[in-house]
Amino acid sequence: MSTPPILHRAQAGNRRKLQDGVVLSWTTMSHPLAGFGNRPRTVGLIALDDGSRALGQLLGTPTIGQRVRPRMVLSSVNENGLRAYDIAYEVVIPVPVNVGALHATPFPGYILALTGPSGVGKTTVSRMLISMFSANVESVPILTTRERKIGDDGEYRYVSKEKFNEYVKNGDMVSFVHLPSSTEERWYGYKQSDLEKIWKKGKLPVVITEMHLLRGLVEHYGRRSLLSFGLLPPGKSKRAMLSALLHRLRERGRDAEEHLKDRLKNATDDLAFFRERADLFDRILVNDDLQAVVEVVRETIPSLREAKN
Amino acid sequence: MISNIHLIGAGQTRFGELWDKSIRDLMEEATDAAIANSPCTALDIDLIVVSNMLAEVTNGQAHLSAIASSLLPHHPPAIRVESACGSGAFALHTAMAMLESGRARNVLVIGVEKMTDVSMETVASALMGAADSEQERPAGLTFPGIFGLIAQRYMHDFGLSREDLSLVSAVHHRNACANPFAQFRSEITPDAVSSSAAVADPLRLLDCSPISDGAAACILSTEHVNGVRVAASQIASDSLSIIHRPVITSFSATKDAAERALTEAGIKLKEIDVLETHDCFSIAALINLEDLGFCDPGQGINIYKDIFARRGDSGIALGVNLSGGLKGCGHPVAATGIKQVIDVAKQLQKTGRRYGLAHNFGGAAATCGVHILENVS
Repeated sequence: MSTPPILHRAQAGNRRKLQDGVVLSWTTMSHPLAGFGNRPRTVGLIALDDGSRALGQLLGTPTIGQRVRPRMVLSSVNENGLRAYDIAYEVVIPVPVNVGALHATPFPGYILALTGPSGVGKTTVSRMLISMFSANVESVPILTTRERKIGDDGEYRYVSKEKFNEYVKNGDMVSFVHLPSSTEERWYGYKQSDLEKIWKKGKLPVVITEMHLLRGLVEHYGRRSLLSFGLLPPGKSKRAMLSALLHRLRERGRDAEEHLKDRLKNATDDLAFFRERADLFDRILVNDDLQAVVEVVRETIPSLREAKN
Repeated sequence: MISNIHLIGAGQTRFGELWDKSIRDLMEEATDAAIANSPCTALDIDLIVVSNMLAEVTNGQAHLSAIASSLLPHHPPAIRVESACGSGAFALHTAMAMLESGRARNVLVIGVEKMTDVSMETVASALMGAADSEQERPAGLTFPGIFGLIAQRYMHDFGLSREDLSLVSAVHHRNACANPFAQFRSEITPDAVSSSAAVADPLRLLDCSPISDGAAACILSTEHVNGVRVAASQIASDSLSIIHRPVITSFSATKDAAERALTEAGIKLKEIDVLETHDCFSIAALINLEDLGFCDPGQGINIYKDIFARRGDSGIALGVNLSGGLKGCGHPVAATGIKQVIDVAKQLQKTGRRYGLAHNFGGAAATCGVHILENVS
């Protein structure tokens, strides 16, 4: 039962829950209570920094003893359609830099983030923006340990796994992720110096990203630094969207058939991420008309709206 | 407490998915059996205590006291008691108080729950009434989720493995095979438990007691004698929400109620030969043994290992949950506490042992009732 008065009282306690904490225990329920969606839900018992405790949804893969940060998310929808927001706790990505210093980082500038499943057209949108507004935007290279492939469009900078680890250890990476693959060891990430170089030129960095890297960027620079666009493939259903992606990926010809399985698996997670973490996006666009998407991005960003191409 | 309150009659329905029986049918069947097994007649009953948690939600039926009263020809007064899954023990305790006060001499206690008339979703939501509606529920937790949190922490703190935890349900199913009233009279292997569907990590489907229909009834009396005396009846409480507890791998209500019950009965724990505990989830069975004092924290699994291997050195003469427990018998919520006492009495009379203990709790042991029975035949 989630009546408006109960929800109101529960939310009155949200101020207390809005603090960092440590995971005391967690569980992933295959079938959460009615109103909390049909997907497995991970809930944690959190020891908050003020000594009190709270229960809340956990975002990310938790372990006992891990630090978490609060985040307001859509929690449930009751039988009358009343949407309840609650404090969830996001697992802090273990970026090996001085966490205390991160809080003190001043606003560094904006980052234009394009997020979406592989094959949705992020690189194409990015290239189009850069070709139209080369004086205003610049692409941020993605460092990766994966092998160079025919058809890669120059968005990657290839490094060895050892070099990547060294960057991580030195705190040079602002966001990085290990994406599971059945065929190879794949790490991806952005180097802080690459972003800073672009800011120094007075330009807007454009990152082609995915859910883990986007979270890492938010973690590092704060949500307000991100001008965040989610790109969805055309299609009225999830199946239609995945079908469109598969078609595009095959047409692109960059990935072997066994890699396509990984791509589609990740795409399924990406599509769920758009729904679960709508707070990380300023706009979610369906990429069925490239020109229209670029126009929306342009219209949304003041520096591009006024720029001449 | 006066010392001459006896359990003089007992009866129950089979536990399970009993779609053809109404809540009234269940109460009537258990009541008829209890009276038939007792030295008294229906007209000797001068008070009824009904234990039920969910009937308003699962059956659209409140006012169970009136139904209970109408089961007997002289319509004796009746009251209803609710304390979630611990309702049965609290109804027994209420009956004891009525007998001790002299307001009644023969009290019929009926525990009933009919849960399969509605969807699983509805039952899961209704059961969450046993947790804190403004702490656990807004997080989307279900009861498997709450015990999933408890199990996760227990495994972290004590190094319990998933494989070992699976022994608990395997033991309970094995025991249930000999119980004609049990919902699941079939053995399962520990591997089957480990590989059953995930419910609330790390708990799997076969770690969880089922949704069940059923009723159990017994008659407590200061007037008649029938071989089993109630040596102690104690209840205790803890905070409703787990966020207000310093530890979640131990239940203080169990400790409090058990300690008081042993004091009331004037016996030591080692004198307990028959034990029925509230194994709503397999992890609870381990915590119960530790909180009752049969072993140290984190060592509950060793008792189950002994029982599973039939080594007979568990420290509890006849083992744990010989009836099959909540996992094997089924768990029609408010009937469970009554059924446990009935099973302890049966085992005492069957084996000639002297003392047995029934442990029944509500929610995540926010309430707990412990009854000690003495075989005086």
